[in-house]
Amino acid sequence: MSDQRIAPSFRAWLRRQRSRHILHAYLFIAPVIVLFGLFRMAPAIQTLLYSFYKVELLKGRFTFIGLDNFRRLLTDEIFQRAATNTLVFVAAIVPISAALGLILAVIFNSKFHFQEFFKAVYFSPMVTSTVAAAMVWWWMYNPQFGILNVLLKLVGIPEQPWLMSSRMALPAVIIFSIWKTLGYNMIIYLAGLQAIPAQFYEAATIDGAGAVARFFRITIPLLAPTTTFILIYNGILAFQVFDQVFVLTGGGPANSTNVVVLDLYRQAFERYNFGYAAAEAMVLFICILGITILQYVYSKRFEVSY
Amino acid sequence: MHRSGLVAIGKLPLYLVVTALAVLMLLPFYWMVVTAVSPATDIIAFPPKWIPTHLTLEHFQVAFEKASWLTYYWNSTVVAVVSVGCSLLFGLFAGYAFAVYRFPLQGFFFFLILGTLMVPVQVTSVALYILLAQIGWVDTFLGILAPNFASAFGVFMIRQGIKSIPVDLIEAARMDGAGETRIVLTIIAPLVKTTLATVAMLLFLSSWNDFLWPVIVINSADLRTLPVGIALFKDPYGNINYGPLMAATVISTGPMLVAYAISQKYMIRGIALTGLKG
Repeated sequence: MSDQRIAPSFRAWLRRQRSRHILHAYLFIAPVIVLFGLFRMAPAIQTLLYSFYKVELLKGRFTFIGLDNFRRLLTDEIFQRAATNTLVFVAAIVPISAALGLILAVIFNSKFHFQEFFKAVYFSPMVTSTVAAAMVWWWMYNPQFGILNVLLKLVGIPEQPWLMSSRMALPAVIIFSIWKTLGYNMIIYLAGLQAIPAQFYEAATIDGAGAVARFFRITIPLLAPTTTFILIYNGILAFQVFDQVFVLTGGGPANSTNVVVLDLYRQAFERYNFGYAAAEAMVLFICILGITILQYVYSKRFEVSY
Repeated sequence: MHRSGLVAIGKLPLYLVVTALAVLMLLPFYWMVVTAVSPATDIIAFPPKWIPTHLTLEHFQVAFEKASWLTYYWNSTVVAVVSVGCSLLFGLFAGYAFAVYRFPLQGFFFFLILGTLMVPVQVTSVALYILLAQIGWVDTFLGILAPNFASAFGVFMIRQGIKSIPVDLIEAARMDGAGETRIVLTIIAPLVKTTLATVAMLLFLSSWNDFLWPVIVINSADLRTLPVGIALFKDPYGNINYGPLMAATVISTGPMLVAYAISQKYMIRGIALTGLKG
C-alpha cells in the first residue's frame, strides 16, 4: 500500500542519483584522461605524424616528405645493426631469464633455511637503478683490472676483452641484464607455483609419476599463463632496452651493441633528426603492438582451456 | 632421526647451488663497496684485495667535489614524491569511477588509459619533447613530471582494489548523506590502503630509477636526478678513476638498498601480487 506511493519517488531519486553519478564519473576520471591525452596519447599520434615529416625544430619548419624517413631506415646500416642487436637481445634475454627464473622458483618452492634471505638477495638487483648497477658492471668488465678478468686469471682461464670486443660486448650486456631481471621472474613464477593445488602433485605421485614427469606434466602446463605473462612483460621491456647500453658501451664498439632506443635517442636528441627518430619510434611501437596482440590471442586461448 | 639426517644431506646440493648463486648476485654490490673504500693501490692489485688494507673515504671526498649529490637527491625526491602523490590521488578517483559508476563511453575511456601502456615514453619521446619545447617545459621539473603525473597501472590496480569493497558500504555512506568526494577520501581510501601502499612503492621505485626521460628533458646540472647524475659522472674520454666512481654509485644507491633491506618482505610480496594481475 505505502509501497505504491514510495516507488515512483524512489525511482526518481534513483534516476537523479544516476545522472549525478555520470557527472561525478566524468569529473573523477577527468584529470587522468586530460593528462594522458596531453602527455601520452597526443604525443603518440604526433610521433606517427612526424614520421612523415622532416622536422627542423629551431627553424620551426615541418616539411612533409611522405615515406622518405621509412625508406631511409631500410638502407641505414646503423639502424639495421641496432634493430638486429635489439632482436638478438630480446631473443636471448627473454627465454634465458624466464627459464632461470622458473628453475629458481622451483627450488624456492621447497622449504629450506634462510629462504627469505636468499630470495631477497636474488631480488636485490631489481630494486637497484639500472644506471648505477651498470656502472658497477662497467668497472667489473674492465679488461685490465676488472674483477671478472682477475677471477678468470686466478683460475687460469685467459682474460676476456668483454666490452672492448665487438663479438663479446652484446653478450656482456645480456649477462648484465640477466643478473638484473632474474629475481623478478623468480618471484612471479614462485607466486604462480604456489597457486597450484598440492593435490595435483599428490595424485600424480600416487600414480607413480617421478619428479621430472611431475615437472613437465603438471608444473609447466599449469604455469602456462604465468609464462605468457613473463615472456610478454619481459619482451616489451627488452625491446625498449636503453639504460645499460648507454652506460656499458654507448652502443659500441663499432655499433655492435647499438639498439633501437639508443639510435632513436641519438638521432633525435643529439642530431635533431626528429622526423627520422619518429620513424624509428614507430618501428618500436609496431614491435610492442605485435607482442601485445600475441598476448591477447594467447590469453584468449587460456580462458578457453580453463 | 635417521630420516631427517638423510633429508639434511639430500639438501646439501641445494644449499651449495643457492649459496653459489647468491655470491654471484651479491658480487657487484660487494665489489662496489670495497672499491669505494679501498686505497687506490688496492683497487688495481693482483690478486684482488677482497678486504681493503685500510679504509679510506678519499674517493667519497672526490665524488662530492665533482658532483652535487645532495641536489640530485633533492631532485629525485621531488620528482618521485610529486609523481607518486598525483598518480595516487588521480588514480584513486579514476579507479573509484571505473569500479563503482556506470557511465557512457566507460569502456572507451578505460581502454584509452590502458592503451597508454602500449606507448611508453620510448615511443612518444620525440613528439613529447617538441610539445614541451613549445610550451617551455624543457629543462624544468614540470618537464620531467609531464608523462608521470598519472599512472595507468595505478588506475588499474586501485580499480581492482575498490571492486572488492562491498557496494552496501558505499550505499550506506550515501544514505548518511556523505558526498561522493568525501566517500572516496574518507571511506574508500582507508579500505584500499594496502593497494595504495603497494602502488606507491612500485611507482616510487620506477620514478627513482627512471633514466631515459630525465636525460632527454634535462640540460642543467642542477636539475639532474640521481640516475642522470651518476651516468654523467662517468666521463667517457677523461681519466677513468674507479674509486670515486664506485663511491658515487654507493652514494646514489645506498639509501635505496638500505630501505630495501628493511622492507624487502613487503616489497617482494607487493611485486608478486601486482605482477601477476598486471
